[in-house]
Amino acid sequence: MPDKTLPKTDVVIIGGGWTGLTAAYELAHEGQRCVILERGNHRHDATSFGAPEEHDELKYALRATHMMDVRKSTLTFRNDTSQRALPMRRLGSFLPGEGLGGAGIHWNGQLWRPLPSDLEMRSHYENRYGAQFIPEDLSVQDWGVTYDELEPHLDFFEKICGAAGYAGNLNGEKRAGGNVFEGPRQNEYPNPAMKQPVSSTKFGKAAERMGLNPFPFPSANVTQKYENPYGAQLHPCAYCGFCERFGCGYFAKADPIICVYDRIKEHENFEIRFQSTVMRVEKSADGRTATGVTYIDADGLEVFQPADIVCMNAYALWNVHLMLVSGLGEPYDPETRTGTVGRNYSYQTIASVDAFFEKEIITNPFMGAGALGVIVDDYNGDNFDHSDLGFVGGAYIACKQYHGRPISYQPTPEGTPRWGAEWKRAVRENYLHHADMVVHGSSMSTPGNYLDLDPTWTDAYGRPLLRMTFNFPDNDRKMAEYVTNRAVEIAQNMENVTSVASSNLAAVGSDYTVVPYQTTHNVGGAIMGTDRNTSVVNRYGQMWDHHNVFVFGACLFPQNLGYNPTGPLMGLAYWTLEHLKNDYLANPRPLMDA
Amino acid sequence: MKSRTLKTCVGLVLLAALAPIPAMVGAQDTSTPAVGALESRLDDERTLFAATISDTPPDDDLLELGRLVAMGGAENVGSGMACITCHGGQGAGDGSGAFPRLAGLPGWYSYKQLNDYASGDRPNEVMTGIAQRLTEREREAVATYYAVVQAPIHRPLGEVDQGLMQWGGQLAAVGSAEKGIPACVNCHGPQGTGNPPSVPYLAGQYANYMAYQLQLWKDGVRDNDPMDVMSAIAEKMSAEDMRAVSEYYRRVENPETTGE
Repeated sequence: MPDKTLPKTDVVIIGGGWTGLTAAYELAHEGQRCVILERGNHRHDATSFGAPEEHDELKYALRATHMMDVRKSTLTFRNDTSQRALPMRRLGSFLPGEGLGGAGIHWNGQLWRPLPSDLEMRSHYENRYGAQFIPEDLSVQDWGVTYDELEPHLDFFEKICGAAGYAGNLNGEKRAGGNVFEGPRQNEYPNPAMKQPVSSTKFGKAAERMGLNPFPFPSANVTQKYENPYGAQLHPCAYCGFCERFGCGYFAKADPIICVYDRIKEHENFEIRFQSTVMRVEKSADGRTATGVTYIDADGLEVFQPADIVCMNAYALWNVHLMLVSGLGEPYDPETRTGTVGRNYSYQTIASVDAFFEKEIITNPFMGAGALGVIVDDYNGDNFDHSDLGFVGGAYIACKQYHGRPISYQPTPEGTPRWGAEWKRAVRENYLHHADMVVHGSSMSTPGNYLDLDPTWTDAYGRPLLRMTFNFPDNDRKMAEYVTNRAVEIAQNMENVTSVASSNLAAVGSDYTVVPYQTTHNVGGAIMGTDRNTSVVNRYGQMWDHHNVFVFGACLFPQNLGYNPTGPLMGLAYWTLEHLKNDYLANPRPLMDA
Repeated sequence: MKSRTLKTCVGLVLLAALAPIPAMVGAQDTSTPAVGALESRLDDERTLFAATISDTPPDDDLLELGRLVAMGGAENVGSGMACITCHGGQGAGDGSGAFPRLAGLPGWYSYKQLNDYASGDRPNEVMTGIAQRLTEREREAVATYYAVVQAPIHRPLGEVDQGLMQWGGQLAAVGSAEKGIPACVNCHGPQGTGNPPSVPYLAGQYANYMAYQLQLWKDGVRDNDPMDVMSAIAEKMSAEDMRAVSEYYRRVENPETTGE
């Protein structure tokens, strides 16, 4: 029994990040009383993220001050079912958020759309290459929603962020200088692209000479003063070099606090409760609907908040955890390959390529921003012929200039000792003469990569920890190697380059680990689809088994595309909210026949 | 390494450079610092604009020329008006709001302002004409000169409402979440030190000048800062906000900008 039961609300929303605040904004304006439960604290760009205090690399980038507290809850990890999973006691490979704005505070602002073919992945590959083309050990699926259906929502979120870029496909017209592979956009980006530094300019020129199609990074680092559709006013980016892992005190990196929260916080239908950690979603006696959620409040009391609708807006991994501890849906069993909750967890392949310039080329890496750089997308998705390659998927190649911070930015050429006087000399000599490239690739789902509850370890509240079983499938390793080699070719073709080095975190023969930072793009585990036997939610983000539970975020992705997830998952959020507002509210029921 | 080269170059030419203007040489008993004293401050980061816009060390007589321009002497009969008339030989300016402190402003910043006055990017009835009559090199020289002179602040600074000071300090330190105003310290640094070469100091600058500039940004008259970020900020500020933050920074004691 809970310590107290509160009056019923229309909608209870689990998590105050991008999707949770957006759900509250849209539903509150539909007359729905919304309560957000956020496990972390209030914070604000003006009062919490201002330089010079915020520009403390040790405190924020290395000690992860804006991120989740793994002492309270974490997950256990293993590569495969033959191993015993152990708890992740420090953040490493990925950095989930905590507190108002969630991980949307410390993101880089790399704002992508999925390719049309990404969303219909299985049918696209089978149509183009034949029914047998996708290897049997991959559980790749269609998303159940098409690019054309998502386009207005992707477009709207770009307006919320004041996205900066250059359209490569405007209403079907291909435009050089933008991403010619992207799906058609109904509108140009709301703001012009960022100014490019030396390294990425040289990268772009080399790519162009090689017949590739470079374009500026689509960016939520705003390039001029801008008012979004909710009335939020954003300021131009100062290229300070403190984006990822930091909040932005300049009001220049779009985040959920300034873009959404500030515009809804005074609304009569809006309420947010901080330090409120949801323990479980409660089900009705017949199990067909949820009745609300039970959470631990700031005073440590267990509180039941009844609601007509439950929106699950936690980080991808924790949405899945909550489903498992609440008994929502049927847990996935890798032996029988039945059940769906926890199925198709996937990640992202990351490789890096470093190019070093002659001394007269000065790159000034400290002038950086989270989405500053030039992209080559010719080897992403199915933008290139896979016939003879033996893998599916792809990666974008970015020459980026995020930052030149003293602890983390110490580029040295291959062969440099890892410490000592020689290393110091190499850092001094190369700091200003370096191009930083990343190969950011897709990750396919497999029957063996999944999430479930750990049989041994529990969190601070006594719940079993989430257990992650994951290793990169051979498909991804082949893909990462192929595209990394293409990136090395571009690097070698850049002018004034003296040496090139590369490192692939999904290399053949190496196992994935949760230790080195890779990317906070954990996806899947509560995937969407059109078949209830292979997905947790239907194509509207509504749970098959409990029709008043709507699920948001990257946990919906059936496999990971080659792009950063925020753009696609926010497109899905607005898509879900459109159907929730215009269809479900008037007539609550399953929106698709099972 | 760079600053040492720079110093040496300036030192080498002192004898030659001083010859045409003997009255200035060794005037230790006046308030105008001698070139030797100024030279020692040339490696201050505030003057480094010359090193960042070009790899060539500044010409040997840059500083001497700068002082000459400040005194009203230059190629095209100077500007027709000496800087010192309004801004003072030490760059102290005055509190009218029209004549800011120039002492210790980053050299690159002052140089850019002169270029912007001349081009009309920062329109000003007095300064536009003056800047247009300075050569490129004279702008560089006089900006360098004012970057290295010092002008102590004379106190007391007058009474001010404590509530206003409190609000100004808050805007400076954490901005306003309600109004969406980012804190000044984001760019202008702790204690209003500025962030050379492109961000000027605020500590010790005249309140009337700063409040007036904020209003110009808000009105869209001035928009010559990088990315026009100050317009976006000033548009969210009321007249009282501007007054508060200006009075606050006027009173911030910061040895790096006020020379105390």
